[in-house]
Amino acid sequence: MTTPPATAAQPGRTVSLREIGPARRGTREDEVVVALSPAFAGHFSKTIVDVPHAEVLRQLMAGIEEQGVTARLIRVRDTADLAAISHIGAKLSGSGISVGILSRGTTMIHQKDLARLSNLELFPQSPLLDAAVFRMIGSNAAQYAKGESPQPVPTRNDQMARPRWQAKAALLHLKEFECIEGDRGPVEVEAVFGPGTAG
Amino acid sequence: MSTRDDGPPGTQLVVGVDIGNSTTEACLAEIGPDGSISYLGTNLTRTTGVKGTPDNTAGALSAIRGALARGGRSAGEVHRVLLNEATPVISGLAMETITETIITESTMIGHNPTTPGGEGLGVGTTRSIGELGEQEPGQPVVCVVPPGWDFDDAAAAINAAVGSGVEVVAAILAGDDAVLVTNRLVRPVPVVDEVAAVEKVPLGMLAAVEVAAPGRTIRTLSNSYGLATVFGLDPAETRQVSPVARALTGNRSAVVVRTPSGDVTDRRIPVGELVLRGAGKTLRVDVDAGAEAIMDAVARAQPLDDAHGEPGTHVGGMLAQVRDTMADVMDSPGQPAVPVSDIAIRDVLAVDTFVPAEVRGGLAGEVALENAVALAAMVRTSRSRMQLVADLVSEGLGAEAAIGGIEGEMAVNGALTTPGVDRPVAVLDLGGGSTDAALLTREGKCTAVHVAGAGELVTKLIDSELALGDREVAEGVKWFPLAKVESFFHIRHEDGTVQFFDEPLPPHVYARVVVLTPEGPAPVPTRHGLDSVRRVRREAKRRVFVVNALRALRQVAPAGNLRALEFVVLLGGSALDFEIPDMIADALAPHGIVCGTGNVLGTEGPRNAVASGLVRAYAAAPVRAGQGPTR
Amino acid sequence: MTSTAPRQSTGHRQSLRTEILEARPVNLDGFVEEWPEKGLVAMESAFDPAPSVRVAGGQIVELDGKLRDDFDFMDTFIANHAIDVASAEESNAIPSAEIARMLINPSVSRNAVLAVTRGLTPAKVLDVVKLMNVVEIMQGMQKMRARRTPANQGHSTSARDNPIQVAADAAEGALRGFAELETTLGVLRYAPLVAIALQVGGQVGRGGVLTQCALEEATELELGMRGITAYAETISIYGTESVFIDGDDTPWSKAFLAAAYASRGIKMRFTSGTGSEVQMGNAEGKSMLYLEIRCVLMAKGAGVQGLQNGSISCIGVPGAVPGGLRAVAAENLVASMVDLECASGNDQSFSHSAMRRTARAMPQLLPGTDFVCSGYSSVPNADNMFAGSNFDTEDFDDWNTIQRDFQVDGGLRHVREDEILQAREKAARALQAVFAHLDLPPITDDEVVAATYANSSNDYPFRDVLSDLKGAQSVMDRGITGLDLVKGLESSGFHDVAENLLTVLRQRVSGDLLQTSAVLTADFVPLSAINDPNDYAGPGTGYRLEGERWEQLKKLRHVTSSTNPETEVG
Repeated sequence: MTTPPATAAQPGRTVSLREIGPARRGTREDEVVVALSPAFAGHFSKTIVDVPHAEVLRQLMAGIEEQGVTARLIRVRDTADLAAISHIGAKLSGSGISVGILSRGTTMIHQKDLARLSNLELFPQSPLLDAAVFRMIGSNAAQYAKGESPQPVPTRNDQMARPRWQAKAALLHLKEFECIEGDRGPVEVEAVFGPGTAG
Repeated sequence: MSTRDDGPPGTQLVVGVDIGNSTTEACLAEIGPDGSISYLGTNLTRTTGVKGTPDNTAGALSAIRGALARGGRSAGEVHRVLLNEATPVISGLAMETITETIITESTMIGHNPTTPGGEGLGVGTTRSIGELGEQEPGQPVVCVVPPGWDFDDAAAAINAAVGSGVEVVAAILAGDDAVLVTNRLVRPVPVVDEVAAVEKVPLGMLAAVEVAAPGRTIRTLSNSYGLATVFGLDPAETRQVSPVARALTGNRSAVVVRTPSGDVTDRRIPVGELVLRGAGKTLRVDVDAGAEAIMDAVARAQPLDDAHGEPGTHVGGMLAQVRDTMADVMDSPGQPAVPVSDIAIRDVLAVDTFVPAEVRGGLAGEVALENAVALAAMVRTSRSRMQLVADLVSEGLGAEAAIGGIEGEMAVNGALTTPGVDRPVAVLDLGGGSTDAALLTREGKCTAVHVAGAGELVTKLIDSELALGDREVAEGVKWFPLAKVESFFHIRHEDGTVQFFDEPLPPHVYARVVVLTPEGPAPVPTRHGLDSVRRVRREAKRRVFVVNALRALRQVAPAGNLRALEFVVLLGGSALDFEIPDMIADALAPHGIVCGTGNVLGTEGPRNAVASGLVRAYAAAPVRAGQGPTR
Repeated sequence: MTSTAPRQSTGHRQSLRTEILEARPVNLDGFVEEWPEKGLVAMESAFDPAPSVRVAGGQIVELDGKLRDDFDFMDTFIANHAIDVASAEESNAIPSAEIARMLINPSVSRNAVLAVTRGLTPAKVLDVVKLMNVVEIMQGMQKMRARRTPANQGHSTSARDNPIQVAADAAEGALRGFAELETTLGVLRYAPLVAIALQVGGQVGRGGVLTQCALEEATELELGMRGITAYAETISIYGTESVFIDGDDTPWSKAFLAAAYASRGIKMRFTSGTGSEVQMGNAEGKSMLYLEIRCVLMAKGAGVQGLQNGSISCIGVPGAVPGGLRAVAAENLVASMVDLECASGNDQSFSHSAMRRTARAMPQLLPGTDFVCSGYSSVPNADNMFAGSNFDTEDFDDWNTIQRDFQVDGGLRHVREDEILQAREKAARALQAVFAHLDLPPITDDEVVAATYANSSNDYPFRDVLSDLKGAQSVMDRGITGLDLVKGLESSGFHDVAENLLTVLRQRVSGDLLQTSAVLTADFVPLSAINDPNDYAGPGTGYRLEGERWEQLKKLRHVTSSTNPETEVG
């Protein structure tokens, strides 16, 4: 990537999610569904490395919008399994493409015809995902939706992530599980960004 | 040595062994007292070491043992091993980039981002976004946004300036934010983004930003008179900016900044000359003159005695290196070193190509397709060490081994076993490093040539023209047909046909251009569409194999007349390619030649010609006692 | 942002001492509070079941408070295959404190303990080890370790999957003392060449070294059956049914795989460890150690000779909770106390703090285990394709010094530079010859020289990866076996290496390596719980570092001579 991240986000930006109604299958081929985990921008407000969920969402949606594609947000409430969340999103997406994301930041690009446990791109190392990476993930998802062939977002690796983050990741995962509402289906949500936003 | 008594009386078990540049092939046969041949098995292994050197022994032995195993015979039964007389051939490849595009004074941004914003043409003075507030109203402004600006903030700042009367007509952004910013503007303007070195855009200068609608290309900035109109240029100045217009042709977006001596130049890079010696002449040709000029000179110096390049250039280095490598392989312990004068470059193939390269002085990592020349060269020596290989094979196998014939003659001899072929016949052996031709006339006279350039050069051209940077992927593109994966359940082949699957395709090939390998589709990591990958592949093959087929056949054809050839049989690894044989056949058809891929012994395809040719030659020889057929 | 960025300051004025402490590597490690309800707890949880067992009609009908009808498949497998039904009720009736005392009491023999432990339920085992502090756990390990002689295992991998590097490092590793060598790949298709390199290099360094290549299960089994590798280890098992099912596996499918190895006389062990279930969010509210004890018993029930445990790749989880490393030491003890070989972890990047890294290994190094590390990185950690180990090549001299300081045998020794260079060069040459014999992409003399003196993969010339991958495929296509490697070595003049490899291959006919804790000595004598049983019975008994071996371990890189203090001995 030659472009440096355009991420001088004000720390003050916040997001709240307003429920619109039950999530429905989209009909527009130019949309990507962003499927959020039960506790995303709700019980939790930032990822494992403190990237605000407001910024995560803004960058994912910006990456999609920059490609001329529409982002539609849903919250999945009955599972905290990333593959399941992403696959539910993909099945509801008019293009068949979704981005699924957990509160701690772990992210996946999914497609409706894939097996649930498969994926197009997976970003398992949540401590290594920053705003710039979320922008690229949004951009790639939108390009898949357009039938283009994006280069996969480069994934990073760090041997010392284990001692620092493995237990916190497990803890966040368990907390997210606590927020599961087993009998409630996915719901369409709208992101309302707080101060510092224009347009 | 007398005939062993294992087989029927008077029969002899022989193995023909062809040591080629990359593969070693064996053909096991039993020869009756009447010279009749029954073929028992063939085998193919990788050649060990450089062809024609003692290192070949290991590969030869394993090829022989494999053929014996397939034929159900043991080494002790072998009457004689027949090796081809082969001289070492070493080939080399080098590429010189011969043009360079330079932008001076940050005059132009022509990098074609995938998602520019807005539409139309905006002409104004460049101003940094931080200074928009200080701008006098009424003067058109092109807003320059440095890295680190969030898209929401940038749009807000521009809207605020517009609200206070500043006439913002266009914007240039560092980040990939053009659509985002445009979508948030009260008054949309054309926006060009992903300009990594945006801080180098000269401020306070007149600039024009043009963005075309999706699927269209710009009309004004790519037109010299458009530029003249925008910037009010006189005829002399218009002449000066015409390279800028040319460089922007085909783009969807562009920025041109008018600076006092800004320019875009297309410079030729001198890369030294190539000195060709042959036909009693010494010819000098500049490498940057291009392939056509080089090949003209090669043709005039035919047959080539030797060639040298300029020290310090890729071509010079490559020619020196193939020579040195050859000297090394020819040196044997206890023998005087091989004089370098014994080692000569006997053929050169130059091919025009292009290399995607980053433009010097560009602000956004602009890439220009620079011209380049790829050169393949081939060195041979007159010294063969095959007798030593034969001695070592004999020792290793415990059976007699001898030189059974010359490579080219044996290839023709073997090719004649292809059903439907008769004299006069020419063979084209399409290998990895060199393309070889041999002709057997109706009278039984045989001539053979080797010319430089074959499969490896094709791979290199594909690799560099598609900027793959991965030889394995380039090999895949060369060997296998392309397709585009359009969904998890269907692909579109390069001929446009669609194939459906019951099981979903693997995720890593989704939405990608793929090569259809026997193991399944493999992605080609490239931004290019299927059509351009296909075009590059076919052009690379044409420029190497079709050109070399004609060149080599002309050298063996009587008086260089292709019409005098009747049958051409294609042999070697690249004759198994899915399109090269057709391309060569198409090129030869106008000369009334029957051309096709060989089918040696009616079963072996384009393989094993030399090995079975050796067996045939041995069987046909009038005297089989003693030393066998000698030359 | 990297995961090792220092923590951000709060903005308040801090003391200068706090600044120094904040900058200490240990503060880059992550620590979390316990959450027993969810299983985020090491070994002391009110939510673990109470021990109970009831036998009726020759089978276990109640296990740790659950009736047979309520068993999940782990319970069923353990009840049917792991617990000795005949002694179960009697053994479980013994008070836990008494069993814990038997574990550390030198006058109770190892066999006497085994007679009890073979009937224990998972909750009872937990109840026993919960009573033990870390020193008592070490005492227990000292007696219960199956093999009398401790050993160590090395990781020999390459960031570029360069076979020449793997061969040279395997030779050096074997020479330094690793009894087993393990490799794995970045690019999986390279596996056949790297596995060959490990096998050849290992036998150059020291005849009898056992090698393995961690891969997906089918390929790993095939390489083993062909004799290109000598054993297998990375067959993962889990402590809850849900995690097993997520991996499309059951205890029976793993047992079937184990039988496949045994059918060819190939040594194999399972892998498990504390923290894996909670890491995947499926701990079912049980403590990490309780679930690991279920794994240990499952391995026992499947009939494998051993287990690699000690948290392994989840070490960051127990490492972050209170008492976590005590639980890790306890899980190793549990494997040993049910008579399994224990390859005891210390094999994954564990801490930013050198002090914590060392301390983490003490409960295994001091009492000795069958393999103190189940992967000490015998390459620099940057080349370690198991995502880094707790120790790597930079720690060799520290490790040797600690062995000498405490007079304990951690399986390694200091080796003189000239011997190392000779072994590395010979390994590279032997691999060069084998590649030539098998018609694989050639190894140049430059590569041999590089291998002799190299530290990491960066010190080697680039390979032609394309040709190598084609060569690797041809190894599989042509059906090349360990015997082909022997022939290649023999025909190219490496008679001794050929002999070594052939002798290792012959072991699979005798089946001696299927015995618990089996390794091969340099004289190719299998050393296992059968012929080298741990006979510890208190001070002055059991394995003692003495005699020739102790003389070896007294040597370090720099030791001043006492006869002539102006020189060093070496």
